[in-house]
Amino acid sequence: MKNSIKVERAKKNITQAQLAERVQVSRQTINAIELGKFNLSTILALKIAKVFECKVDEIFELEVSDWESK
Amino acid sequence: MKTHYLFPNRFKTYGWIIFLSGFVLAGLMVSLDLEPEFLDLNIFTIAAQPNFMGAPEYFSIQENNMLAEIVGILLICGLLFIAFAKEKAEDEFIARLRLESLVWATYVNYIILAISILFIYDMVFFWVLIINMFTILLFFLLRFNWILYKTNKQMEHEE
Repeated sequence: MKNSIKVERAKKNITQAQLAERVQVSRQTINAIELGKFNLSTILALKIAKVFECKVDEIFELEVSDWESK
Repeated sequence: MKTHYLFPNRFKTYGWIIFLSGFVLAGLMVSLDLEPEFLDLNIFTIAAQPNFMGAPEYFSIQENNMLAEIVGILLICGLLFIAFAKEKAEDEFIARLRLESLVWATYVNYIILAISILFIYDMVFFWVLIINMFTILLFFLLRFNWILYKTNKQMEHEE
């Protein structure tokens, strides 16, 4: 799954720490999501979309590899 | 995130105090063959074998020096508190790291035990079994905190 959190953060001019605080998680979590190391929960995805005032699929995008069996 | 199976964050400090006192007592007990008389007590046992060659006895009262038991309980409680106290920000990423580390620790623990079964014998193996009682939590703590440390380091790098 690709995400554009970093871009959205830049647009809104907020840091990882500020975003983390707004959605009530640790900074490590935001960092790991941005780097594609962690698949976040639906609830957290919805919260992040709320902060950026857009829809979830404007931030998160499926990749071909997500359809391959693991 | 609400988790009902973890201790509050402050238990990490309690855990370290309990674990370290257990660790020091264990060291003294082993190196000095410590068996303080005031801990010679008659205690209820579910099963015991007071005579090495005799038959096991069930639900009986036995005399025993309780230092080793106290040390064992201190180590277990200490390690459990350290391992399963919440992080300051216990969220879904930390929860996954916790699960992964626990599975990893279980594998490592039993791989080392299997190797020990094959290659370590007699009284030395007895000591392996004693130490093995605590290693699963130790391996968990090492792995969990190592990854947390690495993540933090890597974040500092990005700033």
